[in-house]
Amino acid sequence: MNTPLLRLIRIALLAAAAATPLLAAAATPREFTEDSFAQIRARYAGRPLVVHIWGMTCGPCLVELPKWGALQRRRPDMNLVLIQADQAPARASEQTLQGAGLGRAESWGLTQPLDDYLRASIDPKWAGDMPRTLLLAPGGQLTVIRGVADIGAVARWLDGVAARK
Amino acid sequence: MNTDLPNPRPAGLVRRALLALALSSLAALAPAQPMAAAHHDHASHGRAGCTTTDLACASAVTPFIDAQGTLWIAWSAGGAVSVARSSDGARSFGPAVVVGRHGAALDVGADARPQIVVDAAGRVIVAYGVFKDKAYNAQVLVATSLDGGASFSMPRSLSADGASQRFPALAVRDGDGALFATWLDKRTVAAARRNGGKQPGAALAYAWSRDGGRSFGVEKIAADHTCECCRLAVAFDAQHHPVVLFRSIYGTRERDHAVLTFDDAGNAGAPRRVAIDRWEIDGCPHHGPAVAVAGDGSYQAAWFTLGQLRQGLFYARSTDQGRSFSPPQAVGDPEQQPGRPYLLARGQTVWLVWKEFDGKRIFIKARRSPDAGRSWSADRVVADTGAYADHPLLVGDAQHVYLSWLTRDEGYRLIALDDR
Repeated sequence: MNTPLLRLIRIALLAAAAATPLLAAAATPREFTEDSFAQIRARYAGRPLVVHIWGMTCGPCLVELPKWGALQRRRPDMNLVLIQADQAPARASEQTLQGAGLGRAESWGLTQPLDDYLRASIDPKWAGDMPRTLLLAPGGQLTVIRGVADIGAVARWLDGVAARK
Repeated sequence: MNTDLPNPRPAGLVRRALLALALSSLAALAPAQPMAAAHHDHASHGRAGCTTTDLACASAVTPFIDAQGTLWIAWSAGGAVSVARSSDGARSFGPAVVVGRHGAALDVGADARPQIVVDAAGRVIVAYGVFKDKAYNAQVLVATSLDGGASFSMPRSLSADGASQRFPALAVRDGDGALFATWLDKRTVAAARRNGGKQPGAALAYAWSRDGGRSFGVEKIAADHTCECCRLAVAFDAQHHPVVLFRSIYGTRERDHAVLTFDDAGNAGAPRRVAIDRWEIDGCPHHGPAVAVAGDGSYQAAWFTLGQLRQGLFYARSTDQGRSFSPPQAVGDPEQQPGRPYLLARGQTVWLVWKEFDGKRIFIKARRSPDAGRSWSADRVVADTGAYADHPLLVGDAQHVYLSWLTRDEGYRLIALDDR
């Protein structure tokens, strides 16, 4: 049997299979500007939020990323926002996140140098060192992790804010 | 740069239509504003939208003043490294010459900048980093001009090693005019990995050139276990030995500073720790140090740290070739993120500049020592701006010492620092 309808279904199935890379393209970073962090915070207001800042040119960041991918798999409820803070092309960032199992995470990237103003828009105390993780509790309390994060500590923080709800 | 941000998926029309059909319910997942979209520049402080290779679009500018007093600058803009010269103190520049076009592969990281020197024979040598693969391994490229900067040789890899190399620093030795190059090199890290080991950071590598950068002698490792993402600082002592200050890694993750001095044969001496700050970070500070050697032979060092023992910008001096340093002295207003130091010495006079930010404006502050760093003038603001700013640098000619500073709003400036 090879009715037009079946052929259409087959095409749809093929399309679904081919869709995987396009789905991953959902990780195409949004352009991060000085307004972006305030928008992100507003969007997640009242909910726990993990913001992870990383860079394509930062070796320790690239080593760390798969650990975030693993945590996201274990904790699909985690609100995770990734900010790529080098001016790497969107595609490089996208492919790296896919490789780390973060292809579908909310991702932002810079198209201009990470300057004093951009840093201050995220965290006035940030000197530009990377990676950097911000744990934002529902009440707005900020916990900063400098350098590669202890993923276990992040999981415990998530448990803690969930328990306080 | 980012003139060439790729489109997310250059899919064929038919395939795209089918996918759109199959995925229409998933479309909500797509980002509202992909990076490849036109720049919006809500943020009025940055460099977004400026994509040409012109000086007006530069993110980093490095100066050099040659023996004739001509100012040379090399800059990164629009994915290219370009050079121009000025004979009137940066009021006007000759035509810009593009040394290399690399698009998004050009290393424009937070502490990266092109290097430029002019040797006694008038050869102009430029070095910079480019990323060479998807894993963002880099290489240092070098190009030389033999016609007074009118044209440059095709940029070529400084190193013959295939590992990643970044953050070159160039300096010409007085006396014999030899060109000294040092950079951060991942070859020891790569070797450790091949042996099944794991090693953080990079190594400090160096080589000498006797022909103005057209070829380099044996590449050597001066120090292993260095930070991989902070610029290097180079000065010469009175005997024409390079003195290199760099962020090292002590233990597995203490990213504190070390200094080493080269010998008469051009080989690196042992690294000495400048200060025990104990900045433990498994990460990239992106914040390199500054060094100068004063007329009395004392080493002048300035650096940024967020260590357990101290946080901020610090200065120290050594009167025994770096074997020991004075207690670190805090510099700048701790409430205004002091950082990005630069030092220059002329005889006993030493200038120190750095950057501060009050949340609205960026200030370059300066202090001056008449006695090789024993005492210092009060700090004063020598320039400020209200938008994107490069790191402050110092450069000198026979008469003056200048602040060299690029800002988005004011452009490139060379500001004479008087003797106050």
